[in-house]
Amino acid sequence: MTNKIYIAIAVSALSLHAQGLNHKIDFPKDSPVSVLSADFGNSNATARGANLIEVNAALSLRNSGQKRIRSMTLMVSAPDAVGKGSVSVPTLDAGPGETFSVHIGTRLVRPLAAGNPVVEVTLDGVLFDDLSFFGPDMLHSQRSMIMWELEAQRDRKYFKSLLATAGAEGLRNGMLSSLARQGDSSQRGVQMVRGRATNLDAERETQFAFLEIPESPVEASNGMARIGASLAGAPRFEVRNRSNRAVQHLEISWIVKDQQGREFLAASMPADLKLAPNQSGQVAQDAALRFDRPVSIQSMSGFVSSVEFADGTQWIPSRSALDQPGLRPLVAPSPEEQRLSQIYNKRGLQALIEELKKF
Amino acid sequence: MSRHVVETDLALYAAGDLPVWRSAQVNLHVRRCEECRDLLEALRADRKELRRSADDMPANVDWDQLAAEMTANIRVGLAAGECVTPRERKVPAISWRPAAIAAGLVMLMAGAWWLNIPRTDTEAIGRAIRNMATGGRAILPQEESGPVVGASASGVKLVENGGQMGIEQSGLHPVMYSVSTQGSASARYVDQETGQVTITAVYDQ
Repeated sequence: MTNKIYIAIAVSALSLHAQGLNHKIDFPKDSPVSVLSADFGNSNATARGANLIEVNAALSLRNSGQKRIRSMTLMVSAPDAVGKGSVSVPTLDAGPGETFSVHIGTRLVRPLAAGNPVVEVTLDGVLFDDLSFFGPDMLHSQRSMIMWELEAQRDRKYFKSLLATAGAEGLRNGMLSSLARQGDSSQRGVQMVRGRATNLDAERETQFAFLEIPESPVEASNGMARIGASLAGAPRFEVRNRSNRAVQHLEISWIVKDQQGREFLAASMPADLKLAPNQSGQVAQDAALRFDRPVSIQSMSGFVSSVEFADGTQWIPSRSALDQPGLRPLVAPSPEEQRLSQIYNKRGLQALIEELKKF
Repeated sequence: MSRHVVETDLALYAAGDLPVWRSAQVNLHVRRCEECRDLLEALRADRKELRRSADDMPANVDWDQLAAEMTANIRVGLAAGECVTPRERKVPAISWRPAAIAAGLVMLMAGAWWLNIPRTDTEAIGRAIRNMATGGRAILPQEESGPVVGASASGVKLVENGGQMGIEQSGLHPVMYSVSTQGSASARYVDQETGQVTITAVYDQ
């Protein structure tokens, strides 16, 4: 019997052992961002039926280009691992020669393979203050990064105007209002299954109401989706380009209201489609949302949250458009608004005013 | 001279119970063999003596009834013996060794499972069993055949074919998170000290 215990312990020791974790940071030679240091100190890999890889890395980076960097996206992947991950810093303001840091916390499970597992960190894109972009854009991050920068410009302009028109007290009220909104936001954990809208048991077709944003270049209408117990899927709707510019991409924010009347932003529905001026089209997506807590869906609605024109420029809703009743509490504040409100919260009004003056 | 006839055959011959062919063989042998003839005569004398003794038994004895009564008496005696003798219950002997070996095997199997089967597979099997138990009504599957991306207060995660990728920021909770119907999930974190915003995402392709 004792021998068997020894054998079991030996088997356990052989099966559960920490492996070395190799990492590879691969930036293009002409990258405007260079790596000053990389600390993968707390990263490790464990073989337990599969490779359990935990990456905890701190990268110190420097803007080695000539333009100010507004945002950056790094791609994280491992050979044989499913999918890809990314870590983005959307609220940068790094001038030439300035340094900044990025933390990467990733957990991967991949099939066992010979040799030590490797984690690769590559540059997906860098956005500059003139909205020019550098990078392979494997994750289509350029579109998101431009949207973040447009939102940042919009919100800085808004808070600057508050300061200019209502003084420091007006800016303070604006910040307090923003912080209150951030605290009130209700969110639900949600999963998205693409390719098959399954398990829509006892499903029913439900109309999808669209909130009208008059300034939006695209009008959405006639939305339908199927809903079941804690599930919503197979959304489809019509769109019409009411601008005089060709559209190549748009994004709809999907809002769900439960039986208690609580609304929350469930998902975004991006769609790639070519729409000439005044042209209409239809969007249908074979995807299903599954909420991690029971939700009895009463109704659904949506609004056009961004539009990309054929020339790569984008439209986003203005602050005034988002201020319409029923919309403001649901729309997430921009990353820049969250950064500014955090500065106000942590360092006070004067620090915020100084920060706004930098732009 | 041929071999002597065995004694049992001679006894049967004396009683007239041998088959015809064998009886002829014995008759032929006895005519020529004095030793066997003497033995045959002895057997016939014994037989006559036995018949004479039987004639001395009481008349009108019903042998069948006598046998039945004797059998009944024997059974009654056995039953009475069981009543007065304390019955010993037979307890199957249980040895601790098989139990210990079984427990060890269970522990070994559980350990091997824990070490070698990814948690996602274990969860999938558990869900399948629960689905079988509930007829697939009460439990919603957490993993489809295709990729599933999810966003929650614990970060973003992609699960596909037993593998998974999750991204989190150590010690931070996302201030917001969402999924996209094009197959991605994202979470936003704000550094409380610097205000720097970090957005993590997973993509199913």
